[in-house]
Amino acid sequence: MSDVTLNAAAASPEAAPRAAPVTSTGTVAWLRANLFSSWINTAVSLALAYLLVRWTIGFIDWAFINAIWTVPMQGNVPQTQACRALEGSGACWAVIGEKHRFILFGTYPYEEHWRPLLVCALFIALYVVSAMRRFWSWVLIPIWVGTLTLIGVLMWGGVLGLSYVPQERWGGLPITLILSTFGLAFAFPLAVLVALGRRSKLPAIKTLCVLYVELVRGVPLISLLFMASVMFPLFLPEGMNIDKLLRAQVAITLFAGAYLAEVVRAGLQTLPRGQYEAAEALGLSYWHKTGLIILPQALRLVIPPLVNTFIGFFKDTSLVLIIGIFDLLTAGKTAIVEPAWQGFGIEVYVFVGAIYLVFCFAMSKYSQDLERDLNQHRRR
Amino acid sequence: MGDTIETEGRFASAMRADAPPAIVLQDVNKWFGALHVLRDINLTVATGERVVVCGPSGSGKSTMIRCINRLEQHQQGKIMVDGIELSDDLRSLDAIRREVGMVFQSFNLFPHLTVLENCTLAPIWVRRMPKKEAEELAMEYLERVRIPEQAKKYPGQLSGGQQQRVAIARALCMKPKIMLFDEPTSALDPEMIKEVLDTMVMLAETGMTMICVTHEMGFARQVADRVVFMDRGEIVESGEPEALFSDPKTDRLRLFLSQILRGH
Repeated sequence: MSDVTLNAAAASPEAAPRAAPVTSTGTVAWLRANLFSSWINTAVSLALAYLLVRWTIGFIDWAFINAIWTVPMQGNVPQTQACRALEGSGACWAVIGEKHRFILFGTYPYEEHWRPLLVCALFIALYVVSAMRRFWSWVLIPIWVGTLTLIGVLMWGGVLGLSYVPQERWGGLPITLILSTFGLAFAFPLAVLVALGRRSKLPAIKTLCVLYVELVRGVPLISLLFMASVMFPLFLPEGMNIDKLLRAQVAITLFAGAYLAEVVRAGLQTLPRGQYEAAEALGLSYWHKTGLIILPQALRLVIPPLVNTFIGFFKDTSLVLIIGIFDLLTAGKTAIVEPAWQGFGIEVYVFVGAIYLVFCFAMSKYSQDLERDLNQHRRR
Repeated sequence: MGDTIETEGRFASAMRADAPPAIVLQDVNKWFGALHVLRDINLTVATGERVVVCGPSGSGKSTMIRCINRLEQHQQGKIMVDGIELSDDLRSLDAIRREVGMVFQSFNLFPHLTVLENCTLAPIWVRRMPKKEAEELAMEYLERVRIPEQAKKYPGQLSGGQQQRVAIARALCMKPKIMLFDEPTSALDPEMIKEVLDTMVMLAETGMTMICVTHEMGFARQVADRVVFMDRGEIVESGEPEALFSDPKTDRLRLFLSQILRGH
């Protein structure tokens, strides 16, 4: 064997570098190689293609061709007989046309709906600006403080000629965005501190962080929300009442913080000891070492599970319905309580689901780009 | 060539004999659990002196130099660095770490920062140097280790030898008074060892105080003022490299040398 290799090497001591073999790809070649390479593959491919086409046609029929987009009104009551006559063979999008403002903004005063609409736009603008790397500096802090203050002013009103809207009347998408944005904005720094604390050499700090994580993680979010809404007020002096939304917000923040802390800790643990030692040997202080060397690397490593948790919590905010807060999903459910619209749940849930999907997919896509850009140093 | 450097080196350290010692270890003991890894270590390194520490693996040589900048804590005895005693006092520890540079076996460059950023990080954040000045300083040292053209690359894009030279430049950017080398060539492919050793020889010629854990006996012969042989946590023998290598006093050193020479 080795003789052959040696001879071959000797025969052409300075062989010219050869080009890589020509790839024989193209749509047809790809299809043949990946979908129809054997009779089993062919059968599975054809079966799946059949199902795909059938379902697509069925969905298009339901959602577009047979769908009813508007229904006549009689006074204030929508006449939904046409929709009911479809018996599920077509979507009744009229319910969305009729109820979308209620689903999006809940019981917020109808003529003031421009305010929560503006709030949603502000939130989205805030996400977009924060996502752009060229704004990643201290500038973001005043931007966030300013935007969130503006959002508070718009929602509550009572100043600048805006009428006052009590928190009980807020609802829909702004509630979902408020709970998840404030929740994650506070939970993330909390999580980083707790993760660092759990690895601290100081026993008191370490114990405190371990207790926090284990206690909060060990109970369901629903029970935390109950505690925040029912039990917490019992501990307050009489007459003092903290806003219900704020209490739910605190519960969600604490819950998210515990989960995120474990994700961050996982990142901290994957870093080799040498990184800590090199930073220490250079004389960097604990906070410089953590902020400049450890966290930038650890957080990059855990972008996928971090975003996973973010997305999970964005959707978990819908659990606040159990303490009577009107988030997007609850508003959707309430919209179809009205007799005329009973039975059109699918359309409403598709609509609400699509809104959740847009936000979650944006997060997911952004995180993939971020992961690629921030881990450039790993590529050669 | 090697001879002249050696004589110059010894002359330089002799000149500074009146200066206070750079490092003093006095009856230093350390245990890892029940394992006694450093036993009554006594070592004084003069300013400008170059000491090579050798010994079989597990003999405590890395632990000893890691105690000097307190990456490991000693449990008994006294360590003085640049006139400051190592203790739990964080301020004196910071002061010592600023003056002691360290080069690791596995380079330990910061992979998320460019070569230049690796070098400017500590001067900017620890020495509070303006960014521009730190970059000029870093380029100066990168030129000295002969890789200025790699400044904008990430460590992962460099070869092992280049990474280790960056690590040396990074330590030098803090303008340390003392340099510690913990087996700097052990993780390198054979063809890259020379480029790192050349850099270290060049550094030795500048009169830097150096302690170097290495098995490179050629390097020890060329630049060391003194070789310290350790085994099982003790300093067994020490002396000038020629004398130590040609006339070992103990069986342990004789055995070690025979193994090293057979290995090469």
